[in-house]
Amino acid sequence: MKTKKLTLFFLLILGALIISACSGQPLTNNFPGLVADADRAYISTGSFIYAIDVQTGNQVWSYPEKADGELLYYANPVLTEDGQLLIGSTGTNHAFISLDPATGQEKWAEPFSGAKGAWVASPLVFNNTIYAPNTDGYLYTLDMNGKQVAEPIELGGALWSAPVTDGTYIYINSLDHHLHILNPSTGKLADPIDLGGAAPDSPAVGTEGIYVGSFESNIKHITSNGKNEVIASASDWIWGTPTYDNETLYYADLSGNIFSLDLSNNRQNWNTLKPDGPITASLLVVDDQIYVATEAGSFIALDRDGKIVWEKTPGGKIYTTPVLSNDLILVAPYQAEFALAAYDAAGKQAWTFTPSK
Amino acid sequence: MWELIIIQPLTNLLLWIYDTLGHGPHMFGLAIILFTVLIKLITWPLNASQVKGAQAMQELQNDKEWQEIQKKYAKDREKLAQEQMRIYREKGINPFASCLPTLIQFPIIIGLYQSIIRALSVTPLDMLKLARTVYPFQNVENIIPLNSTFLWMDLGRPESVQILGFALPTLAVIVALTTWLQTRLTMPTSSNPNDQTAQMTKMMGIYMPLMLGWFALNFASGISVYFIISNILGIVQYAATGRANWSNLLPGGNKTSPVKKK
Repeated sequence: MKTKKLTLFFLLILGALIISACSGQPLTNNFPGLVADADRAYISTGSFIYAIDVQTGNQVWSYPEKADGELLYYANPVLTEDGQLLIGSTGTNHAFISLDPATGQEKWAEPFSGAKGAWVASPLVFNNTIYAPNTDGYLYTLDMNGKQVAEPIELGGALWSAPVTDGTYIYINSLDHHLHILNPSTGKLADPIDLGGAAPDSPAVGTEGIYVGSFESNIKHITSNGKNEVIASASDWIWGTPTYDNETLYYADLSGNIFSLDLSNNRQNWNTLKPDGPITASLLVVDDQIYVATEAGSFIALDRDGKIVWEKTPGGKIYTTPVLSNDLILVAPYQAEFALAAYDAAGKQAWTFTPSK
Repeated sequence: MWELIIIQPLTNLLLWIYDTLGHGPHMFGLAIILFTVLIKLITWPLNASQVKGAQAMQELQNDKEWQEIQKKYAKDREKLAQEQMRIYREKGINPFASCLPTLIQFPIIIGLYQSIIRALSVTPLDMLKLARTVYPFQNVENIIPLNSTFLWMDLGRPESVQILGFALPTLAVIVALTTWLQTRLTMPTSSNPNDQTAQMTKMMGIYMPLMLGWFALNFASGISVYFIISNILGIVQYAATGRANWSNLLPGGNKTSPVKKK
């Protein structure tokens, strides 16, 4: 009987430990965010944001000095023309902050803390106003000093993707299956456009409208004059923002298919490439090469005909869209030995960056 | 393996119920309730055997032959075990019958918790895991992301109600209370002061409400909904067998009652 008693007691403890281990607090884990200019890369990964010298791969600064369990950073940081690095926290403290990209010091007198949800999306800076979408379903508008300039705009659904602009309107995808269109000069919203599925990443802006991929597994072409049509499809959910380049749209899906769509006739140039598993990162087009990163951890360079030029496996899984800095392509793997790797166009690894402990 | 046999089926079942209900506000909470009812129906025979097993073990404590061998072989544990097994065989009692349903509950609770977190997908990484979890025949693109609102709760987060500036964990209190009620009502009565079964049940009557209340306090409120409905159905099932011991709800109610015979 004592054995039975002990067994039950230990089962309870084991149950508590297993449940504790599998998670509890929301938004505690995600893949890193990445942005770069010609000199530095900025990576947000958990409790810290790091600035890295692109020439050497060395750390320039990290923020904050000490980890704070309530503050977590996974969104892509945003560099502004007036010298700010903007990012919001996905932790239980929903602070939205501005850092000095040169030093990593906070720039605003105090963080903006008016949102109810976490900051998964990056903000858009347009006409000296910060448009910051939050998971609480509101779009917050701030001045460049972090002060709220208007009442938050309710869009609905969790907002995970950065807004984009064509110079006139601001477009925001939502997980509520809609594309929301804001006229920033009037603050008015147009009727939301039904995408048929959640859209976790941003629309692509082209010369003749915008292009949106969603969990409906279609690409929609939407223009400000009301055009809204499906122009292509995929075989699975489309996660990453399609890449618009010279009347060609490159996109991928969660089955790992890669597509090259000719926008002049809405026909696929090629769609037979399927490397090795889900693709969430957007494709990066630099000169004559297209860079693809897969969840399986492959980093691949293609030519414009869809032929593989080279393929690398930096380690870990890759969900974050690679970025260009000078002549280097930067890749931020998740759960790898290092946080960032740099490759040249020939596929030679220039350096890797591992945060100091 | 855990993913394949527990997480995937539970998550898909939850998504299927949610979709069938119409996937609007409050529907995920209703899906968890229906899911709990389904689990209770499936485990009904097991729970019934637990009740029967616990009752048999309880009655055994008052059996003269059982008490005699306890005294006779008090210093010879090996012989005592052999004699106990003989009596179990003779009376057709399975000593583990009362444990099995409890053991089955654990993977369901842990799996359900992981499924709720997976289905609600609060991070992009969770959403990617969900995409891999969904069976090909389920068309979930129309229902994702799930609406996690249920009554005043966000089912993906721990629950509390703001009253006069204080965050009161009402659901945790209800979980602890219903767990205590269920344990008290199903607690066997005994006139034997050395009855180990009754002692163990009494101990569980203290630990279980505290443990489940702690879960409810710290984890997604969806799991609290499961606990509450499961407790209520457990009480209903026990009451339906006519064995609910309502006198246990009164102070000192379980001390003097005679053993209830079948």
